[in-house]
Amino acid sequence: MTTNNPFRVGLETERTPAPCVFVIFGASGDLAKRKLFPALYNLALSRLLPPGMSIVGFATSERSDDVFRHMMHDAIAQFSRRKPVDETVWDDFASRLHYVPGKFEDPANFVRLRERLEALDRTNGTRGNRIYYLAIPPSEFRVVNDNLARAGLVADANDHARYTRIIVEKPFGTDLASGDRLNADLHRVFDESQIFRIDHYLGKETVQNLVALRFGNAIFEPIWNRNHVDHVQITVAEDIGVEGRGKFYEEAGTLRDIVQNHLLQLLMVTLMEPPVAFTANEVRDEKVKVLRALKPIEGEEIAKLTLRGQYGPGNCAGVPVVGYRQEPNVSPTSMVETFVAMRLEVDNWRFAGVPIYIRAGKRLTKRITEISVHFKHVPHVLLAQHAPVEPDVLAIRIQPDEGIALRFVAKVPGPSMTLRPVNMDFRYGSTFGGSGPEAYERLILDAMLGDPTLFARSDEVNAAWRFVNPVLEAWHSDTSPRDLPTYPAGTWGPQAAADLIERDGRAWRRL
Amino acid sequence: VRLSLDAVEREIVRLWEEEALKSQGPRIELLTVVALVSEERLRPRAEEVLAQVVRAHPSRTIAVTWKEGEQASLTGDVSLHRVTAGGAACGDAIVVEAVGGGRRWLPENIDRLALADLPVCIWWVGDLPDFDDLFDRAVVSSDLVIVNSGEMDLRDIEKLSSIVERSRGRYALTDLTWIRLKPIQELVARFFDDDAAAGCVPHMQKVTIEFAPREEEADVASTQAGLLFGWIAQAAGMRPEGVRWQRGNDWGEATLGKTAVRFVHRPRADVPTGTILRVAIECGGGRFEVERLDDPQVLRWSRHVQGSMTPPMSLRVATVEESTLLAGSLARPRRDPLFEKSLHTATQIVRPIAPRLSIPPQRP
Repeated sequence: MTTNNPFRVGLETERTPAPCVFVIFGASGDLAKRKLFPALYNLALSRLLPPGMSIVGFATSERSDDVFRHMMHDAIAQFSRRKPVDETVWDDFASRLHYVPGKFEDPANFVRLRERLEALDRTNGTRGNRIYYLAIPPSEFRVVNDNLARAGLVADANDHARYTRIIVEKPFGTDLASGDRLNADLHRVFDESQIFRIDHYLGKETVQNLVALRFGNAIFEPIWNRNHVDHVQITVAEDIGVEGRGKFYEEAGTLRDIVQNHLLQLLMVTLMEPPVAFTANEVRDEKVKVLRALKPIEGEEIAKLTLRGQYGPGNCAGVPVVGYRQEPNVSPTSMVETFVAMRLEVDNWRFAGVPIYIRAGKRLTKRITEISVHFKHVPHVLLAQHAPVEPDVLAIRIQPDEGIALRFVAKVPGPSMTLRPVNMDFRYGSTFGGSGPEAYERLILDAMLGDPTLFARSDEVNAAWRFVNPVLEAWHSDTSPRDLPTYPAGTWGPQAAADLIERDGRAWRRL
Repeated sequence: VRLSLDAVEREIVRLWEEEALKSQGPRIELLTVVALVSEERLRPRAEEVLAQVVRAHPSRTIAVTWKEGEQASLTGDVSLHRVTAGGAACGDAIVVEAVGGGRRWLPENIDRLALADLPVCIWWVGDLPDFDDLFDRAVVSSDLVIVNSGEMDLRDIEKLSSIVERSRGRYALTDLTWIRLKPIQELVARFFDDDAAAGCVPHMQKVTIEFAPREEEADVASTQAGLLFGWIAQAAGMRPEGVRWQRGNDWGEATLGKTAVRFVHRPRADVPTGTILRVAIECGGGRFEVERLDDPQVLRWSRHVQGSMTPPMSLRVATVEESTLLAGSLARPRRDPLFEKSLHTATQIVRPIAPRLSIPPQRP
């Protein structure tokens, strides 16, 4: 937007997105209905959509604008975080919604799309600005990109009069080779500055608060290193199973679905060096350095430092549930992992020698995502007459009940010097009240503003695959059941996960 | 049971200990909010607002009231704020009552009761007298002073301006009516977000601000309308010196250089008095308008600029409760240069028609 607006000086919203047409490919799919349209509607409710902005759904089914609007009204009514639907805001929002039916493979449909977008430019003042959201399987990215380019729907990255941006959803490939191919496909049509790879974990308030905690407070940064940190644990646990997505999960597995993206993103934000500025390239430069410093896990180390598991029948909060192989669309002999644990190390000046334990899985005891930084024991046990002194732990809860807790030791009142750990607990909900924007709202707004700080860059994706790939290959070549232990649904994973950390004399944090 | 102020802190510690036995809820307090309640009838409202505010900003609140009496005294009572009735505690509530000459002792005792090392915010509840010794002394050791110009007359804009001047940057002043204006400001700013419209700003010819007047309104504009135009004028670079006014029964028009600004009374029962109902700007051949529709929470935004087509929008701007405004001002307890600048400009514009009535009393 113009930087010459004197009315923006001093206002909270000093930057606003320029009007654009937001095109969603796969507009009738699950992601669009559950996340994208509710997020766009909530932005409208918060008065954050620019005037004139239009939203075009593109999908294969034939339907009119009105039928499409009706469908999206139902989706928003069901999935929006703010209910009920505000009909005044909806009327205005609905007038921005349009639908173009067509198969992605047919270039003629993209010519029709262009005509529709140009008409919107004329009536709504969107000035050729485009954001394309690919809510479609990665296998269809290529044909959509090519047809966009062929139809003249991609502006040059250096065109200052208008912009084109593309938002893509994970998975960014299925291994190193396909990840690179996907990046190459995108780069044939788009400049890296036009590509916004969404990892919704980065849109979560607590992940951003981790940056604030580390770099907005002087007390943590001096001790955030190998001299004071004993080890780090990152847990991404879900209590649900594959929830009808058996077909998808059979091709993905936890390593691809969670570890390669969400978990490594959390790891990067936890361990990165302070960026020189909180701007896109500076932040992402520091993040990718962490991935490059990860000690590769290859050859015999894979069996020693990584493990996988698959959930069997069990219970979820007291309700009996089936095992993974009994889920619909899952092979009864499936060797796909639903649990991963690893011991990682980062070879850099700050964290050399500090083990990072990660675990992620489905059908675990509870849903929780947490990063915990475990500090070293006190150097001299002066006060431990009656009990060992527990080391301090700083825990950052990403979900649910977002917050930060610091465990430290205090004296129990009384005549003897008895110590016990206590928790100082900061909870977002009870401290600030209300709920913040959903991750998708924040990320879509950032994409409209052209701020890629919270999106993954191609070299990050490449470095993440480079790290994960040897493990993937080894697991795929080894199909012996002993390497895929089963754990009962509702537990914290296979016993081997406990062994992985216990052989270092440590234990998983009780969550 | 009313406590001596000496016993207040001990009682608070006891209440929190009792709370810790019941739940594992943490005690988190971000600041001290002191409500100086200028009239006894406003006390229930002030306490209700404080109880709401601490849900977003866990705090110690101190509601201060005073009444006449021969025997000077200060007493207090304490309780805990809760997120919901019977739910987790989210702050402690102290109510201090001054009798007679005890009012003089309030500033140092507010200091004594404030949480150590955390910001102190003073909220003056009600109309602010032209000069008040308690207010002047209490604000000195605060970080943020909050008033509500919506409860004041147009001439009081100048009074607020003088508070900013006297603060010399030691504390920040904010105004709940200013916070209330933010959605309108955002929509006005949105008029000029592209180059074609921004180019119109230096050629502002006419601004119309319609507002809901008080019953038998004597002022040309509400404080809200005055502040809004102060903001528009400073952003558009208008020079308030030499402003000329004309007025009728339910309107007033100021001329600043080539710009005519018309304030129009539009009585409307379904909105709080002072509320902005319509802002229309004509400049450089462009027309810009925000208007409140029949549903008072819905605003219609439209603009017509040569070479820049934009469809109109309807937006919901929910009626904001006083507690939300107060919470909004506590979110950033620091100076707001834009408010100070807008207040200063508004003061200069309205001074010819709403001069300050009194002069400061001589201090002994």
